[in-house]
Amino acid sequence: MDFQAIADHLSVAKVPGLLSVELPRSPDKKIKDKGRSGLPYVCLDPSCIVEFLMFCRDDEALGFEVLVDLTASDPSSDDENLWILVQLLSVRHRHRLGIKCILPKSALSMPSSTKVYRAAQWHERECMEMYGVTFEDHPDPRNMLLPDDWVGYPMRKDYVFPKEYHGISCE
Amino acid sequence: MGILEEAFEENVLTTRVDWLLNWAKLNSIWPMTFGLACCAIEMMAVGAAHHDIDRFGAGAFRATPRQADLMIVAGTVNFKMGERVKRLYEQMPSPKYVIAMGACATGGGPYFKYGYTVMKGVDRIIPVDVYIAGCPPRPEALLEGLMTLQDKIRRTPVIRKPARLQPADLA
Repeated sequence: MDFQAIADHLSVAKVPGLLSVELPRSPDKKIKDKGRSGLPYVCLDPSCIVEFLMFCRDDEALGFEVLVDLTASDPSSDDENLWILVQLLSVRHRHRLGIKCILPKSALSMPSSTKVYRAAQWHERECMEMYGVTFEDHPDPRNMLLPDDWVGYPMRKDYVFPKEYHGISCE
Repeated sequence: MGILEEAFEENVLTTRVDWLLNWAKLNSIWPMTFGLACCAIEMMAVGAAHHDIDRFGAGAFRATPRQADLMIVAGTVNFKMGERVKRLYEQMPSPKYVIAMGACATGGGPYFKYGYTVMKGVDRIIPVDVYIAGCPPRPEALLEGLMTLQDKIRRTPVIRKPARLQPADLA
């Protein structure tokens, strides 16, 4: 299926949480606008991600067996939202789907996808330490890369670099 | 060796204990099997046939700190690894030597400005004997560093010099 067919299939099935379908803009040559490149994606309500992913995994026509990536992105330090970006892949049907959840930075919390895709565990742990997103009911919410007592979320745009760590200067 | 030269029969050599012990020590510097990043690839190249670190008696890479004399810090040291590096150094028996190989181990290297978890030089936690420049250094540079360390060992007195005569001794 191409992306449009996947989006139509999702809308017809009335999957909970589907907000909008975003296609790449076609470039407008008159104003030298390069357009939004990259993959098309669907916007999703973060509170419904478990049901949505469950549908994508179990539906015969979609058949997304693989969670390729789950990551976050901080668009700007002025922006009050953070994006959670998910990539699904179906090896059987040779198609993929991009999902974007918009979370306000004031309430960075969403359900964990680990019950649907166990591969999401490490991705979510990385999101937790790097962006400060809380995934509810995560089975193992420890830091994955950073030391356990690390302060701050390094991948956020407004991150302040530490001056010292355990008495060792960072200057 | 001075007045004792040819004082005995043939096949008896005389020398100083300092010289003998240092000669034995500097020709059997056993490094620890231990690599942190891309510098370790160059270190492996030094261990392989073309450069052959065994010509200097330093080819026996030991898999435990308790049998090693030399720690080649080959790669980026971050704070989480720094604690382990320090513990490994403490587990090595004296006399022990450290070579900081490459820009990262020497002073943070390319991660100096934006590497929030990278230690700006391994000499902030353990004493370093020889620094090797390069990113990564050529295998010849590591051999040069090893020879510099051998020179350093050669100059080290093993037996303590006799205490200087004090006025109290004459009374």
